[in-house]
Amino acid sequence: MGIDIYLIQALHGLVYGMLIFMVASGLTLVFGMMGILNLAHASFYMLGAYFAYTVTVYLGNFWLSLIISPLIVGILGILTERFLLRPVHIKGHIAELLLTFGLFYVLGEAVRIIWGSNPLPVPVPGILKGDIPFFEMTYPIYRLFILCFSVFILVGMLILLMKTRIGILIRAATSDTDMVDALGTNVPVLFMGVFGGGAALAAVAGVVAAPFLSVFPGMGLDVLLDCFVVIVIGGFGSMFGAFVAALMIGELQSFGVLWIPRFAMVFQFMLMAIVLIIRPTGLFGEVE
Amino acid sequence: MMSEKYLNRGWGAAVALFVLFLPVIIPEIKVHLAIEILIFALFAISFNLVLGSLGMLPFGFAAFFGMGAYIAALMFNHIPGTPLAVILLAGAVSGLISAIFVGFFCVRLGGTYFALLTLAFQMFFFAVAMKWREVTNGDDGMGVIRPELYFPGLGKLSLMNINNLYYVTLFFVVLGILAAYLFSKTPLGNSATSMRENDERASFLGYNVFLTKLTVFSFAGLIAGLAGGLYVLFQEFVATTAIDASMSFTIVIMAIIGGTGRFFGPILGVIFFMIFQDWISDLTDNWWFFLGIVFIAVVLFLEGGLISLINLDRVRLWLSRQES
Amino acid sequence: MAILKVEKVFKDFSGLQVLLDVNLEVVEGERHAIIGPNGAGKSTLFNLITGYYKPSQGRIFFNGRDITKRPIHKIARMGLSRSFQIINNFPMMTVYKNVRNAIISKFNRRFNWFSFLDRSEEIRRESDKILELIGMTDVRDVLASELSYGRQRQLELALTQARDPVLMMLDEPTAGLDVEETREFIQLIKQVTEGKTLVVVEHDMDVVFGLADRITVLNYGEILVTGTPDEIRDNEEVKKAYLGRK
Repeated sequence: MGIDIYLIQALHGLVYGMLIFMVASGLTLVFGMMGILNLAHASFYMLGAYFAYTVTVYLGNFWLSLIISPLIVGILGILTERFLLRPVHIKGHIAELLLTFGLFYVLGEAVRIIWGSNPLPVPVPGILKGDIPFFEMTYPIYRLFILCFSVFILVGMLILLMKTRIGILIRAATSDTDMVDALGTNVPVLFMGVFGGGAALAAVAGVVAAPFLSVFPGMGLDVLLDCFVVIVIGGFGSMFGAFVAALMIGELQSFGVLWIPRFAMVFQFMLMAIVLIIRPTGLFGEVE
Repeated sequence: MMSEKYLNRGWGAAVALFVLFLPVIIPEIKVHLAIEILIFALFAISFNLVLGSLGMLPFGFAAFFGMGAYIAALMFNHIPGTPLAVILLAGAVSGLISAIFVGFFCVRLGGTYFALLTLAFQMFFFAVAMKWREVTNGDDGMGVIRPELYFPGLGKLSLMNINNLYYVTLFFVVLGILAAYLFSKTPLGNSATSMRENDERASFLGYNVFLTKLTVFSFAGLIAGLAGGLYVLFQEFVATTAIDASMSFTIVIMAIIGGTGRFFGPILGVIFFMIFQDWISDLTDNWWFFLGIVFIAVVLFLEGGLISLINLDRVRLWLSRQES
Repeated sequence: MAILKVEKVFKDFSGLQVLLDVNLEVVEGERHAIIGPNGAGKSTLFNLITGYYKPSQGRIFFNGRDITKRPIHKIARMGLSRSFQIINNFPMMTVYKNVRNAIISKFNRRFNWFSFLDRSEEIRRESDKILELIGMTDVRDVLASELSYGRQRQLELALTQARDPVLMMLDEPTAGLDVEETREFIQLIKQVTEGKTLVVVEHDMDVVFGLADRITVLNYGEILVTGTPDEIRDNEEVKKAYLGRK
């Protein structure tokens, strides 16, 4: 096998890793800030993909869905936080977890009802079709697009979190919500915003993923488990950890599929178990 | 209060009579439903040993149920002639061992980690069941033929007869529920409750929190494994559906709807779920969706589950009025 | 005989040095107070001794045995118990059940699933005895979360006492109590710790000087001095530590 096969696989891994990071980052941010692991986050991703299908097929334009999907899902996210999560917050962590689980479940079924159980194909938009030459092989343009797009999103998030006022507020709220509250920030609004933003981001990931992976009702669970593995390995609440772990998982799956396809599913769980034994808080997580 | 004790006994007797004479009382088609309710009631009770007494939510509990199912199926098919009790015991023990394994990693962790890590382990088991076709036949599954039971001196009992299957299942389910009940009343069961309240203080009082949690978790796995074995007997078939995320989620939904605060709460949830399914699935294919809505409603508005609607205090009040 | 010995103990948290070269000996049967300004490391020291944290360096001995690396529950079973500065009981259980939890743990060593049926009478008697000793029989069936603050502090004491420990460590037992309540509580502590060894962290100087046989002063994670109340009272460094901090 030539070097190019490895490079191609590595690129595949990178693409998938970045995609997972896009979803996991919102999840870990919400967890860090609000203490909730929102299982329905994966549903937001799924809805993003499904809306992409509908918009692409009925309005003929894929790019439109990059705007419409996150908009709808973002609003859904805000409504969820305000009307479902907030009342349940007082009842404790288990109730919160159960609620997000219930939502994940219901949204999964809703998708089945509206769009059916069969996988739906979302065509790659015209300009991005085809391959480009890559060393002695070719590489699909669309995947490179995913990579570039996710890097773009990543940079955008970094700028938002590090350089803007909102970003600083969010990071402060992640460390100490009470303090931020005492300093006069409208914490409920901040929560709604971050939750909605996270949902929108997941939806964007869904849109981008739609032509690449297939759109089917089980995609929520798949991504949820991957995200969870990423967050456990990277450390709950750690963005950087999620980034590193997402890339690790991406590469692990990519090469796992190449070398031992039968057990590819199993590797990431083993890795997660190992990390949990050696360092329960994850590679970059903080001890509570 | 005297009357309350008699009322409790009255209820208990009525339920016992109903359950014993069920095949006579209800139409034969519904006996299948009753058997399923029994099996899932046992499964739900085992689940609640973890959630109710320990206060920990395992999202991947189907792992032990599924293990029990697969081991039982393999024994039915590869070691024919084994007594049913032995097969079910094997199923239970396989549930126990896998729970010890999973519990060892998961039990020291708190709420969310624990919930999802158990799910990850269950998906691992699922992956193995899916891929190890030589043994499990993957998602095509394996068929199982219900054995005949021999009672020396009394003759044969065919489990193909649904009423016979009902009574045999009932026997083992009652055994399992009794075991779970007694377990919850032991000192270990009691210390689990104090750990749910405040596990930090418990350890400073001298409790080995890790070992206690692991023991409770493992025992729950034992009972779940038994339920899995009975499931295979009933279904005459086992596939990856017995060990997948959907099965894990189903038991969470059943237990929560029923109510996890009291020992028999989850059973109510199972009954509700099964009857709801039986009834609504005739009206629409999308009954899962409506069930999910009910689940969310319960989490939002009825924390104690359905069983909290049975308000013992009102009964006591009514009784005390009767006595005066 | 030193019932508790802390030997050259250091503790740091990710680089933040909280305790430096702490050496402490507690004589059997004495009442030993640990005082010091806020942030001196008193609670950390407690947590180290009782097994909640492990020292970065150094060793801790209880009754001659090395408990440096022992898990919390094993240390508790050896007869070392502690109370908490912030109320730490079983809120949704009654006072009786709270105490019973401790008693059940005491009997757990000879753990036998079926012995519970025999022992339950004994457990009930022991629990009620503790309640009587602490003076909480009147609130036996009240939920812990519904108790007044003063009574919750009493419950803290009851939980610490229930296993009949050899060494009791009380972390600011009178925190939040008013003058009258504090006085009564100290009387109760004196009664309850009769014949036992007591280590107490306290801020209230009257309490400390009235209760302690010896006092150890902790400042910025280091032991300043250990001595009798008179010695401490006249110690210049101690005065500086308390009054002269900028």
